Amino acid sequence: MTIPANIKYTKDHEWVRIDGDIATFGISDHAQEALGDIVFVELPEIGREIEAGEAYAVVESVKAVSDVYAPVAGEVIEVNDELEGEPEKVNTDAFGAGWIAKVKMIGDGSVELMTDDEYNTFLEE
Amino acid sequence: MVETDLAKTPLFEAHVALGGKMVPFAGFEMPVQYKSGALKEYTAVREGAAGIFDITHMGQVRVSGEEALEFLQYLTTNDVAKLVEGQVQYSALLNESGTFIDDITTYKLRDNAYYLCINAANRHKDVAHLQTEAANFDVVVVDESDDTTLLALQGAAAQSALQPLLDLDLEAIGYYKFAEVSVNGCPGIISRTGYTGEDGFEIYIPNDIAVAVWDALLANGAVPIGLAARDMLRTEMGYALYGHEISDAVTPVEAKLMWITKLEKGYFIGKEALEERKDAGPQQRLIAIKLTGRGIPREHYPVRVDGVLSGEITSGMFSPMAGGVALAYVKPEHAEAGEISVEIRAKHVAAERTKLPFVRSNVRR
Repeated sequence: MTIPANIKYTKDHEWVRIDGDIATFGISDHAQEALGDIVFVELPEIGREIEAGEAYAVVESVKAVSDVYAPVAGEVIEVNDELEGEPEKVNTDAFGAGWIAKVKMIGDGSVELMTDDEYNTFLEE
Repeated sequence: MVETDLAKTPLFEAHVALGGKMVPFAGFEMPVQYKSGALKEYTAVREGAAGIFDITHMGQVRVSGEEALEFLQYLTTNDVAKLVEGQVQYSALLNESGTFIDDITTYKLRDNAYYLCINAANRHKDVAHLQTEAANFDVVVVDESDDTTLLALQGAAAQSALQPLLDLDLEAIGYYKFAEVSVNGCPGIISRTGYTGEDGFEIYIPNDIAVAVWDALLANGAVPIGLAARDMLRTEMGYALYGHEISDAVTPVEAKLMWITKLEKGYFIGKEALEERKDAGPQQRLIAIKLTGRGIPREHYPVRVDGVLSGEITSGMFSPMAGGVALAYVKPEHAEAGEISVEIRAKHVAAERTKLPFVRSNVRR
């Protein structure tokens, strides 16, 4: 698994990649590993405006239901429909084919973001 | 419960070595899944492997004495007089109010000697109940749980994985039958029983040989299966689980377990209350449902019928074979008619009644 450049992490184990004013969201490889087999993903609706830190999606593993929180504020412009049929992509490619949603960023609302190194240190703590 | 209070089975190190993710369960640290994950484990059992499960957390009680039969007739719901040597019977212990203390299996070893398998979470409650009542009978009740390892070996390959360990021909053990056997030079009990809907066995052995037998079964191709896959396999069959479909709040009338309750056999604890409940009708009814909309039905999610709150889910899951399926208690008038929906995160997701089991059972009857 390759970790794309420019990826940032949250303490809730989400990742975000920002390209211009577009941000792509997903859950970290650590998160998918901890959750186990993902069998369902509830995606947000296109056009929904979400705050930074707001629960915007739900991932369900065999045993657990987990909210997924937005790293930055924005309006949902695209969701990964493929996860409806193949939720396991979150497990197999958390940073690639397992992305969840894209937002057009609104304002500068953001939760605390960490670099790859910072996140790895955070995981070890 | 704090973690230091958790018990470990003799196979704890074996689970960790296999990448088992250990979680607290009924007072024990048990593997919820191994390295490959719950879905692969589930698939292995359904598609022909021999899945091996450490279920040592469950309890075992030996009941012996001149009045063992009378004692068990008085305490359990099923008709113990119908049991022959080498036969297993699904049964229950009830309160005076007719509600469940536990669901159990009763093994007839011989006249005046029986063996009970009880749920882990209910062990101390069950043993106290049995010992209190034993004071009025010529019986001895011995809790052997701490000395006994219980393995389940389930799936089409179970028999071929287990056979090399035994002199006895496993073909001789029919469904819900058992044999007392010698395993690694130690006495054990092997029954053709299980909780998965697949052919297979439950293997009771002394703790001393737990690791040796586990390793031998793995060497014969058995695949370790954790609690998560076990619950998937159980729920797909619609088997009741204490704390979910059955509890001290419901009677066998509600739990659809009157088939293990023999009112004609004579007196047993809870009988009078049960007869009253049977005449009055169940207070709620257990139904099997399948989501027609998207989502996974989970325990405690509210169930509505024609928009009216009717009850809740007791066990629910994503079944790779059947989709979103669940067992739920609903009001009696909603058991057979009305549009069902399950409330998932404030949304009402459509569902329909279905028959059990949710997927085809392959037990050998």
